[in-house]
Amino acid sequence: MIKKIIIGAVIAIVAVAGGSYYYAFVYMKNKKFDMVNAEATSITSVELVKAFQTDEAGSNAAYLDKVLQITGTVSATGTTQTGEKTITLGSEDPFSGVMATIDSTAAVNVAEGETITIKGFCKGFLSDVVITNAIPVK
Amino acid sequence: MNMTKSILASFVFFFALGTAAQAQKVYATKTGQIFFNATGGIEKIAAVNNQTDSKFVDNTGQMVFAVLVKGFKFENQLMEDHFNENYMESTKFPKADFKGYITNIKEVNFAKDGTYPVKVDGNLTIHGITQKVATTGTMKIAGGVPEIEGSFKVKLKDYNVTGLYIGEKIAQEATINIKCKY
Repeated sequence: MIKKIIIGAVIAIVAVAGGSYYYAFVYMKNKKFDMVNAEATSITSVELVKAFQTDEAGSNAAYLDKVLQITGTVSATGTTQTGEKTITLGSEDPFSGVMATIDSTAAVNVAEGETITIKGFCKGFLSDVVITNAIPVK
Repeated sequence: MNMTKSILASFVFFFALGTAAQAQKVYATKTGQIFFNATGGIEKIAAVNNQTDSKFVDNTGQMVFAVLVKGFKFENQLMEDHFNENYMESTKFPKADFKGYITNIKEVNFAKDGTYPVKVDGNLTIHGITQKVATTGTMKIAGGVPEIEGSFKVKLKDYNVTGLYIGEKIAQEATINIKCKY
């Protein structure tokens, strides 16, 4: 009887340890956020920049790490040093905009002056509002 | 005669001011890279931020770097969540920055391609704590485009970053690598 309890306990410990390892280091490593179907707050790039410029702490509380759906006019396109595509949406301030890095799986082909809508994570405000993992919204 | 001298002096002053203003150039990027590695055990604990804001002035060497802490990407989402919530408290301290000088900027010839060693001195603010940092790196000039690379270590406790696994799975010192093409 004791032998059965010990074997059962060992199996349970191994199962819990294995499950925890799988969750932490395999499942979470390969987990992909579903940006397409994620709920988002809609805002224009002009409104978003103005919000951060007038109340950065309040805007951080409202938007940090949230999924935003942002509409604006493309003021610049480019790439990061690792080749990720970037799109900057303009604001009323020529020195500030919304700069988004585009998700590597998303196809996006836009030109300066076009009005587009993108969806991505808001990471805060430097000279631009920074958005990551962005995808275009059709 | 005095009036002539005054006009001449004014002319020389404004000419000199104009020349100085023209001679100064500010280089900037919004897509610089900062890596950090705090691996202390088997699991790699490292992240990269590809949206680093940085500027420097060529004739004074004054430079700034700024990053959003939530902009660091880990391979593992769970690690990223722990990094932000339990260690960096990035909602409370959303930015990290460095403000300082390249102290030997005069040794860099922006008109000549090459790789120049640079010395950097300044203040690094992480987790709301500011500490003095001095390090070395290189500035590569290629076709007039500068690229700065540098690496230094920070002790997490110096920035009041504490947590359960520091000293075990997480190293007590994190290595920070910077690579910014302007």
